[in-house]
Amino acid sequence: MPIQPTQPARSSTRNATHQLTAVVLVAMLWHPAGASTEDPTTSMFSFSGFGTLGVVHSSEDDADFTSSRLKPNGAGYTRAWSPAVDSTAGAQVTANFTPQLSAVLQIIAEQNYDNTYIPHVEWANIKYQFTPEVSVRVGRIVLPVFLVSDSRMVGYANPWVRPPVEVYDFVPVSDSDGADASYRINVGDFVNTVMGTYGRNSSRAPEGGNVIGRREWVVSDTVEYGAVTIHLAYEETHLTIDSLNALFAAFRQYGAQGNALADRYDVDDKPFRFIGLGGMYDPGAWFVTGEWGATQFHSVVGDGTAWYVSGGYRLAKFTPYLSYAQVKADSNTFDPGLTVSALPPSLAAPAVGLNTELNSILGSIAVQKTISVGARWDFLKNVDLKLQYDRTRLGAGSPGTLINLQPDFRPGVGVNLFSIAIDFVL
Amino acid sequence: MTFMNRVALGAFGLALSLVSGTALADVVVVVSAKSPITALSKSQVADLFSGRTRLFPNGLLAVPIDQADGSITRDEFYTKISGKSAAQIKAYWSKIIFTGRGQPPKTVSSSAEVKKRLLENPAAIGYIEDKMVDDSVRVLP
Repeated sequence: MPIQPTQPARSSTRNATHQLTAVVLVAMLWHPAGASTEDPTTSMFSFSGFGTLGVVHSSEDDADFTSSRLKPNGAGYTRAWSPAVDSTAGAQVTANFTPQLSAVLQIIAEQNYDNTYIPHVEWANIKYQFTPEVSVRVGRIVLPVFLVSDSRMVGYANPWVRPPVEVYDFVPVSDSDGADASYRINVGDFVNTVMGTYGRNSSRAPEGGNVIGRREWVVSDTVEYGAVTIHLAYEETHLTIDSLNALFAAFRQYGAQGNALADRYDVDDKPFRFIGLGGMYDPGAWFVTGEWGATQFHSVVGDGTAWYVSGGYRLAKFTPYLSYAQVKADSNTFDPGLTVSALPPSLAAPAVGLNTELNSILGSIAVQKTISVGARWDFLKNVDLKLQYDRTRLGAGSPGTLINLQPDFRPGVGVNLFSIAIDFVL
Repeated sequence: MTFMNRVALGAFGLALSLVSGTALADVVVVVSAKSPITALSKSQVADLFSGRTRLFPNGLLAVPIDQADGSITRDEFYTKISGKSAAQIKAYWSKIIFTGRGQPPKTVSSSAEVKKRLLENPAAIGYIEDKMVDDSVRVLP
């Protein structure tokens, strides 16, 4: 899938982001540090940081492996060993103005759509805790579609080098500009958290232009019971992928058939739906976790279903783990396109070109299966080292989640991936 | 008694004292003697210290007091209450902190400091070595 349902905002909403950041900063500075009345021994501000230094090697050198479709390149074709796939650094300041009112600002540096590492604002929001059960946040907030949406950037918080791309590539962004409300209730030993989120998102895409999610809403529910966590989420948004507009504008030059194809496949304010269910059981000495997700997107990006299961066993400071993940296409990966034989020669040639382009996008819908083995070693306080081996079998005719396909690339092959990462938190 | 036997006996004695030493440093969950809370289950304590809930079962606000990262008392408490190591607890809080969903409990440097906090705030809940227990605190079974 070269372009896909997505949305991190970095540019078209850049001004809005700056305003938001400014508001959060001003709110933080408004209250001089130490003015907290509740507890004079603790500061109102807390600073924290996290990061990952990682390199990845792919056996497939005619395509790139990336951790997100919003990244321009990765391991394989562009670099034999790529530091871009997993390396990140983040810094966060949290301000507790009163027991009810708090704010968070988080900045992350990672490989951007244009291959730079200029930091961006991941979160910038103000939270008001009305009661111990009810809170509201406004600003740039998490888009809580996955089990580990919250911490997908924080390697130290996760058992693997990265969350399985099969599932997590369905929604490659983790934030939204808007508001959310959370309601948490305790029933016996059960803790249930319902959350509603509404906002928008715009991200720069490596292919050019933006990927914009408008009227974006998510309803999620998290149940925690002892060592068990279950997460259910439903997302609906209206996606626009700028880089596809020219292709479908060209289709619309071809009368009724061209219009019908454009309506079927374009990505211009098209409804995108995602449903996800995830669970984890972690009694301490071992863990087992899994997620299932499906998308519905009446467009050239297509529909898919993906899931993974993963388990690990903790032996003192070592946590070896084993995972299986797969993604399949639920929509057509080929379309006959415009009926070329019915066209005059002057129109037929460009029509063939349009059909080819349409099918190259449809054909790149991800289909793949991956077995992963790895280990986490907590060798220092607040630092871990991870080694991971992934064996991916691409579906027949599919490039899977790989990008930058070169002329010699053969779909449907097997790919070996070796990853090393050091994660830390401050 | 041969030399080897003495060494073996000495080693046994040392091992025994280490084992009993660990047992003596048992960790207990405590609230202020003035607190209305008389009992909590393991999972209720775990939920309070993981920020999953901010309330005691009776609906009153709870203020968990943690001990310093790296202290033996802390490691023992989390192993006992949730079966998790210090690194696992840190990883858990990384998840919560880096989304702004919450902050870990306030930490103090010793069991004596925990008792001081309990005296100041009847809503506080903490854990201390059992030899530090006195009239100012109530041990929760």
